[in-house]
Amino acid sequence: MSTNNKAHNFHEEDKDQPPGFHRNNASGFELHKRAKLVAIHKALQSDPVDVASLRKYAISKGGLLTDEIRRKAWPKLLNVNPFESIAKDANIKEHRDYDQVVLDVNRSLKRFPPGMKDDEREVLQDQLVEVIVRVLCENNQLHYYQGYHDICVTFQLVVGKEATVSLVNKLSTHHLRDFMDSTMDRTKHMLNYLLPIINKSKPALHDFLQRSEVGTVFALAWLITWYGHVLNSFRSIVRLYDFFLACHPLMPVYLAAAIVLYREEDIMQCECDMPFVHSLLSKIPQNLPLEKLIVDAGDLFVQYQPSQLAKEARLYYKESTSLTTYQSLEESSRIQRPDSVLRRLTRRGQGHASAAGRPQDSNRVIKVAVWAISMGIGAAALTVLNNALEFWG
Amino acid sequence: MEGSKNTTGTILEEGESSTASQESPSQRRIFKVIVLGDSNVGKTCLTIRFCGGDFPQKPEATIGVDFRDKDVTVDGESIKLQLWDTAGQERFRKSMVQHYYRNVHAVIFVYDVTKLSSFENLPTWVDECDRHSLSSNVPRVLVANKCDITDRRVVSTNMGQKFAEHNDMPFFETSAKSSEVGESVSNIFLYIAKKLKAQRPHLHLRAGFGGISGSGRTSVRKLRLKSSGLRGFEPEKTPKSKCAGGCFS
Repeated sequence: MSTNNKAHNFHEEDKDQPPGFHRNNASGFELHKRAKLVAIHKALQSDPVDVASLRKYAISKGGLLTDEIRRKAWPKLLNVNPFESIAKDANIKEHRDYDQVVLDVNRSLKRFPPGMKDDEREVLQDQLVEVIVRVLCENNQLHYYQGYHDICVTFQLVVGKEATVSLVNKLSTHHLRDFMDSTMDRTKHMLNYLLPIINKSKPALHDFLQRSEVGTVFALAWLITWYGHVLNSFRSIVRLYDFFLACHPLMPVYLAAAIVLYREEDIMQCECDMPFVHSLLSKIPQNLPLEKLIVDAGDLFVQYQPSQLAKEARLYYKESTSLTTYQSLEESSRIQRPDSVLRRLTRRGQGHASAAGRPQDSNRVIKVAVWAISMGIGAAALTVLNNALEFWG
Repeated sequence: MEGSKNTTGTILEEGESSTASQESPSQRRIFKVIVLGDSNVGKTCLTIRFCGGDFPQKPEATIGVDFRDKDVTVDGESIKLQLWDTAGQERFRKSMVQHYYRNVHAVIFVYDVTKLSSFENLPTWVDECDRHSLSSNVPRVLVANKCDITDRRVVSTNMGQKFAEHNDMPFFETSAKSSEVGESVSNIFLYIAKKLKAQRPHLHLRAGFGGISGSGRTSVRKLRLKSSGLRGFEPEKTPKSKCAGGCFS
């Protein structure tokens, strides 16, 4: 592994349970985690890599658990070879968005681990600017937006500079594509799914929000940074990235709906006026039960699928590149070639017992896991449905 | 906590939350103020400072629109100022920020005295305001920020003053970081509060959000073009005694 590819272990690995991970007792949690780690390693070592299972683990409780796993699994979820980076462009300073990127990266101190030395952080910030502008140079049609740097820094801190270039390059032409138009019109369209989802689930809350004229801008930073800008806990952020990388591009909007629904009581007690409601909603509580909300978001997705909402609410599904290219991304990631480099790396971790799961969690979560795999090919969904229980741990 | 991630603390300093106006809804008037200007000129820091927070050690880019509010007392009347702190990047202003121009009671334009382009772009921001049909009597002020950085200053007092005069705005030089320089941040906002109070003596709570945008685009345009003639419409001038730090109304 080259120096550039070396990911930094800046953040405390998951010695403790991931955020929102409720355990009944210590041994139960450890058992669950150990079983899941074994299962994930098995999926990574199969040849070709078992991406369907990886998706499921990325969604299910605790996500991919450690940054070491993320470094291997995230590229698989996006069907990217992290060792094939895009070419360096010598003229990054001439890119139209260069100045804005520098301004925003310079102001991203909060995203780096507290206690990191200034000179060390400055090196990473320089790298971050390079990563962002290289991806922009590679894709001239893409426009930088404030918040894109929040996505990129998350990848940088987990997978390192060069792998970030590859991953973000792919993500930018898929999940993030609509955010990167010259205008934010299609981003607005994505946010337009939010209130119809809430309406389906809690019409009274929806009516309250409509009456207050709060709009959806309170959730803008949530969507376009995948919550990286608004959550303080790095572990929570990467847990959500596991989830979003395994899911449909609209999943951050479904999670936003789950959060708003979860806060129903607070919202309904608020004065029904835009500033008050915006103020309440935009301040995201830092102690959200993320694992529960992930399940809720998946539930909402299963019940009120985007295509159905689009029909009913006259939303712009087909005009979205993020949404329309997702299926091909999802399908291509299912048929990945054997990866000898990855095999060599993961072989070191062999020797664990075979994967074992415990079929005792709620059906709802399994439904979500099944959904993640069935988006692409309908026939495969049934196979997974039969096996979901045994995989869930 | 500092920065845009959590601004709750700025509201709580007076023992209130953002919803606390329920305590006397019929008495407290609310004014909506929008803060505009290029990226990185210090809009967020100015509003945080005004709302009682310290200068953020790790300021971040604003994504979309942030909201802060603060109660101030003007001549014995408690007034709530709601500050809408907008993202500077053009794409946000075109698609997202429009919503927040509605029924705005005052506008603050901010530029960075160490960055010429942020000054040169001011006409774009003024035009933008005009396009949103803001009433001619919506007070606008111009704020030159980062005046503490004297060695890198590129926009002189004179340049800012001229622009302000041409656009008929009071002008303040300040620093969100250092209270030693220019006008104090809170005086700028208090000036606005005073002006709004004097200008709208009969405004009722909430009604302010629906009933102010009386003048249409045409009249705004006319008045803007004849900026020298606009002065007569101003109900009160910036009090000279408050201008020690560089206010040139």
